[in-house]
Amino acid sequence: MLTSQLDPAHRTDLDAQIASGGGETLTVPGDTDWRELKDAARSAVRIDIHFDSFKDGRGFTLASQLRGRLGYAGRLRATGHVIPDQAAHLKRVGFDEVDPDRKDLATDWAKAHQRFIDGYQADHAGTSAILGRRSRENADIAALNARYRAMDAQDIIADALTRIWPGRIAMMSSFGAEAAVGLHMIAQVAPDTPVLFLDTGRLFAQTEQYQRELADTLGLTRIEIIHPSAREVADEDADGKLWSRNADACCDLRKVRPLDRAVAGYDALFTGRKRFHGGDRLQLPVVERVNGSIRVNPLASWSAEAIQTYFQRYDLPRHPLTEMGYASIGCWTCTAPAQDDDIRSGRWAGQSKTECGIHRPYPVAAE
Amino acid sequence: MYRYDEYDHALVRERIEEFRDQVARRMDGRLTEDEFKPLRLMNGVYLQLHAYMLRVAIPYGALRAEQMRVLARIAQRYDRGYGHFTTRQNIQYNWPALVDIPEILVHLAEVEMHAIQTSGNCIRNVTADPFAGAAADELEDSRPWAEIIRQWSTFHPEFTFLPRKFKIAVNGAAEDRAAIRFHDIGLQIVENADGERGFEVWVGGGQGRTPRLARKIRDFLEPQDLLSYLTAILRVYNQHGRRDNLYKARIKILVDSLGIDAFREEVDEEWGYVRDGDLRLPQAEIARIRAFFTTPRPRSVSPAPQTGPAAFRSWLDTNRRDHQVEGLSSVVISLKPVGGTPGDATSEQMSIVAELTERYGFDEVRVTPEQNLVLPHVENGDLFAIWETLREHGLATANAGLATDIVTCPGLDYCNLANARSIPVAQAISATLSAEGLAEIAGQVSIKISGCINACGHHHIAHIGVLGVDKRGEEFYQITLGGAMGTDAAIGEIVGKGLAGEDVPAAIARILRRFLELRQTGEAFIDTLRRLGSDAFKEAIYADLAA
Amino acid sequence: MKAITANRLTDGRVIYRTPDGDWSPHLAEAARLDGDNASTALALAEGEFAVAVGPYLIDLDEDGPAGQKWRRESIRLVGPSAGTTHVLGAL
Repeated sequence: MLTSQLDPAHRTDLDAQIASGGGETLTVPGDTDWRELKDAARSAVRIDIHFDSFKDGRGFTLASQLRGRLGYAGRLRATGHVIPDQAAHLKRVGFDEVDPDRKDLATDWAKAHQRFIDGYQADHAGTSAILGRRSRENADIAALNARYRAMDAQDIIADALTRIWPGRIAMMSSFGAEAAVGLHMIAQVAPDTPVLFLDTGRLFAQTEQYQRELADTLGLTRIEIIHPSAREVADEDADGKLWSRNADACCDLRKVRPLDRAVAGYDALFTGRKRFHGGDRLQLPVVERVNGSIRVNPLASWSAEAIQTYFQRYDLPRHPLTEMGYASIGCWTCTAPAQDDDIRSGRWAGQSKTECGIHRPYPVAAE
Repeated sequence: MYRYDEYDHALVRERIEEFRDQVARRMDGRLTEDEFKPLRLMNGVYLQLHAYMLRVAIPYGALRAEQMRVLARIAQRYDRGYGHFTTRQNIQYNWPALVDIPEILVHLAEVEMHAIQTSGNCIRNVTADPFAGAAADELEDSRPWAEIIRQWSTFHPEFTFLPRKFKIAVNGAAEDRAAIRFHDIGLQIVENADGERGFEVWVGGGQGRTPRLARKIRDFLEPQDLLSYLTAILRVYNQHGRRDNLYKARIKILVDSLGIDAFREEVDEEWGYVRDGDLRLPQAEIARIRAFFTTPRPRSVSPAPQTGPAAFRSWLDTNRRDHQVEGLSSVVISLKPVGGTPGDATSEQMSIVAELTERYGFDEVRVTPEQNLVLPHVENGDLFAIWETLREHGLATANAGLATDIVTCPGLDYCNLANARSIPVAQAISATLSAEGLAEIAGQVSIKISGCINACGHHHIAHIGVLGVDKRGEEFYQITLGGAMGTDAAIGEIVGKGLAGEDVPAAIARILRRFLELRQTGEAFIDTLRRLGSDAFKEAIYADLAA
Repeated sequence: MKAITANRLTDGRVIYRTPDGDWSPHLAEAARLDGDNASTALALAEGEFAVAVGPYLIDLDEDGPAGQKWRRESIRLVGPSAGTTHVLGAL
């Protein structure tokens, strides 16, 4: 008899009881009225719910009522014609085990157990509901944003670095036209903060040089240079011209995926994004969730003038390309001088693309 | 527009991997067809007469330009260059290969789309007013609620193997463009005497073989109770809906057999238990979802144009709708060119619509249950440019709501269940009425055609309904009159014996000509019909046939 | 006179059972069966669910599909009779 454990943390006390022959076990068909099981719910150690057909969903409600309304705490097993694709459903309504008619699909059941761990709905244990989790996380973020509304950028950075995420937050920097401001502020608090710098293999020589000079001037001691995977580059951009065929795919290869790998060890990231950059950034909050981690945008509310004032006040070195009219600096393949007041208009000019993709929940890449 | 977070993305990705695995297991025999069929249906995959059909979900009919572009590309690359927009605001592709569908789903997932639960005995696409967020008669935008219900109903562990399909619709305007009284659950946003917003809840409506008007189960449901109340209804249905007879398995039959009062008691008893648990909707979550759905403001305000070429003005008359924001309008993009297949769009047309959506439409386009498209928000100053572009691509037929704006199911040309063809009938009716100039003069008339009694063409709720039947290998068509959706919802009545296919267009023309004779000033077709009854038209239908 | 038809599992296309037990999209290549051997042939065909989905018997005469379902089977054979986009037939 095949019995798959749906819930690895099963109750060993029940195991013991069943093994010793104590406690009642019973089998009921899936269309049983839950009200008939009030007594059984108190006394049984195991109840088997039998599915005549996997299409008959009454067994799911029966399980749900046993666990919920009747508070049944014993073992619950699904038997009969159930298929591996129902593993997540069975588990979430409160089944512990399954003993299907077909015994030769152990691998399929094992695979199915790994899927859909999270669901929109609360499971019978009241956990893993996306709704609940989002509510808690959003409450945390809303509280942080409320707190940071009253603080200036330098204080936000200090708070995030020392109080909220000490040792667990890094700075993402392109070492572009405005980068010096945020980097300078971080250097005032903790110059050993990891600074993640994406070397796409397509950077302006001036950017690479500026990165070294600025880090040196500011005393930043932990610059982590992130490269795309050499194997992936060989597979996907062998001729080096992917940027000209599909800018999205090139950004994904050289920025999005490398950054994903790099941020895995951090709970939060600083970015230099600002609302006045326009486009998707118009409503940028200071704290937001992106791809399961937190992004902190301390300069979100800063204007172009404020940036310039800061540069002058602290006499920060400027990126050499800013003299040539480059207001926003990315890879040389896709960056041109800004056309007008739209600071990012030189990025992917002539395409509808305005963002590289590292700041948004990323799409599934085609296989 | 709602944007996925990492949870939404993760669920869609897992679903794709699950389906890819299911296809593999079907191919090598670990799944029989009987086991595979409900699984593929829950991913929108039907097997039709000629090929598989993939039904992609368009939640509450709303799309961004980027999404419309992907739909166009899928039609181009995996299908035969066109797609069909449906009466439940989805899109269907008629020719995908099963082995390509996992890849299609990957492309869809890249733009936050999927084909989850567009078929099968589960909760289907939640539909809403296609003019939500724009309509001048709107009390509240129905889309946030449709999105909340969508998430609650997706991969619901308890309600994935229901007795039968389950359809929910939400309406937030005075006019009911979502036909909530013809859904398993219909929700009308209302305001109570204290000025609080909530839902009027209707249950047990439907079309199909046994059309029913929904019954009101609750006058006022508070927003935080929405999901717990729906759960209670679904739980009662899952337990007690019939599973012995496919044609008696919908919730409308259960409500019939218990009676609405007894049904309500069952629901309330269950609801009492779940009401205050984790199904209670936090205000913060309602606010978070609401924040995704905005109404734009125009960059410049001008009134709707009064001048221009005659064709433009006539298009404005029929296809433009007033907007709740000054300076904006909504426009209907007709997918009913005279003699065309209702609801079909080519890949190129979809791309053009995507461009218009992006350039003029504040990045929003909608699918209507009448198989048309809508740009809900356009600036009045852009109306002429939009019309010109639509015209170049056969999308500017000025017939929204007119007799040539016909709704039809795919019928025997595509569908396994059909008894008769429906598309050619629609084409012939459209051509006849157009040739005789009847459509413009007759004004608002809804004509809907179903190729079998499953009524996917929604003929029951049409002013003039056409139902195809098979009699000893020949196609006959029954006419029904007087159906209507909306607050004065009604089911159409059969007027007599069926007509041969070639006689139908002339019969419809005679109905409209009779209407023109009988109408009083300013009366719409449905008003005249209600005033005089269908007997006044019966004779017109069957005239000329005795000879 | 009868033949066996089904849909191809991989792409859903219309197929007909040939005399040598294969499947072909061409009706001309379908095995012509009569009452006795039709049900045996059908049972055999049903066993091939890894290739063909839902096989069933159709009526034929010399010209093609016949009987009550002639229109449905003609449409399956040549494709939809209607549409603004030209649809290639199954042949």
